[in-house]
Amino acid sequence: MATLCTTRLTEERKNWRKDHPFGFVARPMKTPQGALDLKKWDCAIPGKDKTIWEGGLFKLEMHFPDEYPTKPPKCKFVPALFHPNVYPSGTVCLSILNEEEGWRPAITIKELLVGIQMLLDEVNPESPAQADAYNLFKKDRVAYEKKVKQVVKDNPAP
Amino acid sequence: MPPTRKRKLDQTASTIHATSPPKRHQAEEFKEVEAALPATPQTLTSDKGMDSDDDFNSVASSMDLGEEMSSSVDFGAGDSDGDVEEYEDDNTGFEATAKDLANKRKAFETDFKVYSPQDIQNQQDGQVAEVANLLEQPPEATAILLRYGRWNKERLIEQYMDNQEELLEKAGLGQDIRRNPPRIETVIGFACDICCEDGQDLESFAMTCGHRFCTDCYRQYLTQKIKDEGEAARIKCPGDRCNKVIDAKSLDLLVPSDLTDRYHVLLMRTYVDDRESLKWCPAPNCVYAVECGVKKRDLLKVVPTVHCECKHAFCFGCTLADHQPCPCALVKKWLKKCADDSETANWISANTKECPKCHSTIEKNGGCNHMTCRKCKNEFCWMCMGLWSEHGTSWYNCSRFEEKSGHDARDAQAKSRQSLERYLHYYNRYANHEQSAKLDKDIFHKTEKKMTLLQSTSGMSWIEVQFLEGASQALQQCRETLKWTYAFAYYLARNNQTEIFEDNQRDLEMAVENLSEMFEKPTDQLAGLKVEMLDKTAYCQKRKVVVLDDTARKLKEGEWDLLLLTPC
Repeated sequence: MATLCTTRLTEERKNWRKDHPFGFVARPMKTPQGALDLKKWDCAIPGKDKTIWEGGLFKLEMHFPDEYPTKPPKCKFVPALFHPNVYPSGTVCLSILNEEEGWRPAITIKELLVGIQMLLDEVNPESPAQADAYNLFKKDRVAYEKKVKQVVKDNPAP
Repeated sequence: MPPTRKRKLDQTASTIHATSPPKRHQAEEFKEVEAALPATPQTLTSDKGMDSDDDFNSVASSMDLGEEMSSSVDFGAGDSDGDVEEYEDDNTGFEATAKDLANKRKAFETDFKVYSPQDIQNQQDGQVAEVANLLEQPPEATAILLRYGRWNKERLIEQYMDNQEELLEKAGLGQDIRRNPPRIETVIGFACDICCEDGQDLESFAMTCGHRFCTDCYRQYLTQKIKDEGEAARIKCPGDRCNKVIDAKSLDLLVPSDLTDRYHVLLMRTYVDDRESLKWCPAPNCVYAVECGVKKRDLLKVVPTVHCECKHAFCFGCTLADHQPCPCALVKKWLKKCADDSETANWISANTKECPKCHSTIEKNGGCNHMTCRKCKNEFCWMCMGLWSEHGTSWYNCSRFEEKSGHDARDAQAKSRQSLERYLHYYNRYANHEQSAKLDKDIFHKTEKKMTLLQSTSGMSWIEVQFLEGASQALQQCRETLKWTYAFAYYLARNNQTEIFEDNQRDLEMAVENLSEMFEKPTDQLAGLKVEMLDKTAYCQKRKVVVLDDTARKLKEGEWDLLLLTPC
């Protein structure tokens, strides 16, 4: 249903330009010809204030399938992010992004991005997606936080 | 060992057949011959005083079978032979066979009941209606509640009485839907959150949760769920984080009828899947489901073979094709063993040695004991595996004192060789019967031709040549049983029970081979062999019953000494 998919994405873009949470970025990519590609978005999520992620800005790509909004978009940190619930490929493991779990067609891009921002500091130890971050998070919280602060330093908000 | 002896007497006594001289070896010991043997096992006289109708009723009301089933599992009519035709066109399938239950129930038989899709629908509707009455909820909501509670009525009602609101919330029902019957509306100022349309006459729908979306989006969402994801029982509201489950009435309102049909099929599927006592018949294209009270934990003690309306006999425990007398756990082990290459490894260890230096696998196919490894050029003695240079002058024949390590290595090899031989013994016989059963299927098709031929050559009527079909079917069933006796025997420790088992197995095998041989006779002789073939058919069936009954009984009582630790 390409038509539903594109009308909805056009609308999402309109709403985002009208209003969006501070520090966040979300814009459709450009095709090599310079036209807008509504099915791929460049996004960025700021670390939440008063958490160890504060001061960072993390780039993320959203890929919308033709079945969107029946099916969820694929969200991927580029480059992959050091976080227990992010796969080595950068793909985010989050219930609302899983069509068999929490995904509902009514979830907006804004809600998705805010949801991922919350995930940064609220790790879900039940579904680990990468070994490095998960093991460190489990075994040595101090080292984990130190590593996160390093990641924040490497990806500073402008 | 007096008890074992006695058992042997019991079971042989009831199995001697007057017209089968080759099987007399046991009869000679105990001169008890059963009076005239009936033609089919269904008519065997009963020696247990069980009233079958009562048992039948207890199956019908199924839910509380549980414990009792494990100790008395049997079923009279299921034994898949001639009487299948009697009820094949009967939809409900069971009533017609109830009269057969007056016959003997054997230890290997299991109580079960076959349901058509309509029966299942009715059963489901009946339960919903019953609970709906009690809870005073509309049927759609009750259905959702029951699905949430996995059809455990009692617990559901208890929970409902305990905390009605919490249960409704958890099951995805929310408020009472009686006051707000589902309907499609046009609401002024409405904009759909999914497609962002906001036309004046845009039709929209919302469940009692209030999350309103346009009917197009709702429809597409439901289509996706039902068609692509095969979801039915727990489709939730498209609104973010809303757990409200869509009910059948709302669904009927929104989607086209072909989807509603699919939806109800899926619902029925989850109904059967949700209940431990119900299983779909695994045969391709079969629409029936079977109810059986045998629980998972009983499967080491009973092999619950059930017979579907479509004539497919399968095990209720693992849904594989009938594998009596071998219990599910052993079948699983056996099939795994046959499928993986554990025996390849066994062969390698039995027939080869490793180079002591580079560990390449070497098979000695001739020549002297002075080995030179082709890979690492290591020279060693095949006998003691020691360095050849240490052998001094004793060429070609190792006379060195056996070191303990050399001894152990040889022991291990002998053991592994023995275990391979043991496995192959059983596997060959298992595979042979599997193969023969396949060939017997061909025979069955030839039999049909023979039957028509026989009718024209001997002037026999159609009904008079039916004995051939009966014989052919008996042959196939007995081979199937024999096949699994070999898998079972592989896991049996050697003791008296096993010897009795092997005696029974051999008797069945001889009977089967005899009958099989008769089939090969030219058609013109077949008419003359009718009586003998009928006898042999009955005898085969009887021997099968003996093997199955004996195994099942001992299984139930835990008398088998199973080698479950056999390396596999």
